[in-house]
Amino acid sequence: MAATTVTLSFLSLHTATTSTPTTRLSLLKSTTKLHPFSFSLSPKSPFLSLLSSHPKIITTITKANSSDIDTSFFDNVNPEEEVVFDPPTPPEDYIPPPSFDEGPLETEEEIAAAYEELYGPAYSGVSVLGKDIYVMDSKVKKTSGWSSRSKKEKIKDGFDERVVQVRRVTKVVKGGKQLHFRAVVIVGDKQGQVGVGVGKAKEVIAAVQKSAIDARRNIITVPMTKYLTFPHRSEGDFGAAKVMLRPASPGTGVIAGGAVRIVLEMAGVENALGKQLRSKNALNNARATVVAVQKMRQFSDVARDRGIPMEELWK
Amino acid sequence: MIRRYWNINLKEMLETGVHFGHATRKWNPKMAPYISAKRKGIHITNLTRTARFLSEACDLVFDAASRKKQFLIVGTKKKAADPVTRAAIRARCHYVNKKWLGGLLTNWSTTEMRLQKFRDLRMEQKTGGINRLPKGDAARLKRELFHLQTYLGGIKYMTGLPDIVIIVDQQEEYMALRECITLGIPTICLIDTNCDPDLTDISIPANDDAIASIRLILNKLVFAICEGRSSYIRNP
Repeated sequence: MAATTVTLSFLSLHTATTSTPTTRLSLLKSTTKLHPFSFSLSPKSPFLSLLSSHPKIITTITKANSSDIDTSFFDNVNPEEEVVFDPPTPPEDYIPPPSFDEGPLETEEEIAAAYEELYGPAYSGVSVLGKDIYVMDSKVKKTSGWSSRSKKEKIKDGFDERVVQVRRVTKVVKGGKQLHFRAVVIVGDKQGQVGVGVGKAKEVIAAVQKSAIDARRNIITVPMTKYLTFPHRSEGDFGAAKVMLRPASPGTGVIAGGAVRIVLEMAGVENALGKQLRSKNALNNARATVVAVQKMRQFSDVARDRGIPMEELWK
Repeated sequence: MIRRYWNINLKEMLETGVHFGHATRKWNPKMAPYISAKRKGIHITNLTRTARFLSEACDLVFDAASRKKQFLIVGTKKKAADPVTRAAIRARCHYVNKKWLGGLLTNWSTTEMRLQKFRDLRMEQKTGGINRLPKGDAARLKRELFHLQTYLGGIKYMTGLPDIVIIVDQQEEYMALRECITLGIPTICLIDTNCDPDLTDISIPANDDAIASIRLILNKLVFAICEGRSSYIRNP
């Protein structure tokens, strides 16, 4: 039974949501430690520090809250070097503790009591210390993102959403055609953060919501100058779509078509020129602009990395 | 982070066989800096590095425990399942010792629904509600409870995502590692000569086949967690 997809394209819809001030969670700031060993801080790039410093927004997506665990020791370890193992001397009355296997087996009650002290009764169903067993219910109802309040469920965290394209896609099965809607949504505050997301569902609204959540997961920052334009030209491609972006003098406005224009507008860029060069597919062009924007660097960053004053870059 | 003494001595590690690696042809070239020799067709890891990394990992874990962070220990190998349970219970951490269900962390909202079901079933079992149902339904519920107990038994006290995840064998728990990477959770992993040290935040090159070596390393980490917790209790 072969399954084929048939698409019918619809006109793009425009929706807008209200914006409120955002709260950002800042991740790890590495603290300095005193090492008794000298490690050469070679310019080798650190381990892809997952606790990297671009701010992430939390909506209904659960994200890890490991903001102050300092793993910076392992970022600068150069494995080629000679590592010296020189532990601090033990205190005088040091007795090595028993292994976890030895020693008497704790009773279930003791274990349950200890866990409950630390974490509360959570999902265990028993409460040795007399706490409320259903404590997690109230917390879960608040944070569940798939709740059925679809009518007034608008995630208020300062991001505007705009639907670029809603298409009805079909999967042909033995019994007939199965219809789904695929929505491409671009999410952004007008201050340099944008995200592109796709979502598919059997209803248009559900698809739009899914794509909004997906868009909030992949947000990038657009480097902008003080005249709200790009620092330099760039090209980006994704799939068969290629997009060229060019800065413009103030007063020009955003001169670009379709998906590219929406991405730039939601990012807050005021003056830019953009052209879709190869394919005209909306989703791929939106992703290609994101790629193009990620390739851009601010002049100050380049000057700092190269170690020369900024004036040299303009010669 | 201050450095403390963790009773890591190289002699003990040699006795338990921490330095043995896997067969030579199964190695991962990224592990080259951590391998010191090749003997009888097996790679031998450099124990000074292991000791150093282990002590740093213990420091980190101690620090995190003293700040009341949540830990998760993952070990699904048959050999490692038992030590992992005992270690986690001793350290009062969450653990996964049977199969790691895909999406346990990334699809946390669905996992929470399963945990709620688990709790409701436990309540019913305690109050004896199951005995009032007909035999077929009762048997079905008991089976479901048994399954939930095996897979989710270790995380039933988990209220949110953990802050640090300790993984016992990287090849075996690759899915768990991938989930932690997408979520940005720091991981500590026991790396053998066929594993990739760049994937985790903290890698401890050690032998993951021998029960004794897993026990040794878990011992140190668990001790560090206990110390951290007690220091938190002493001065929060």
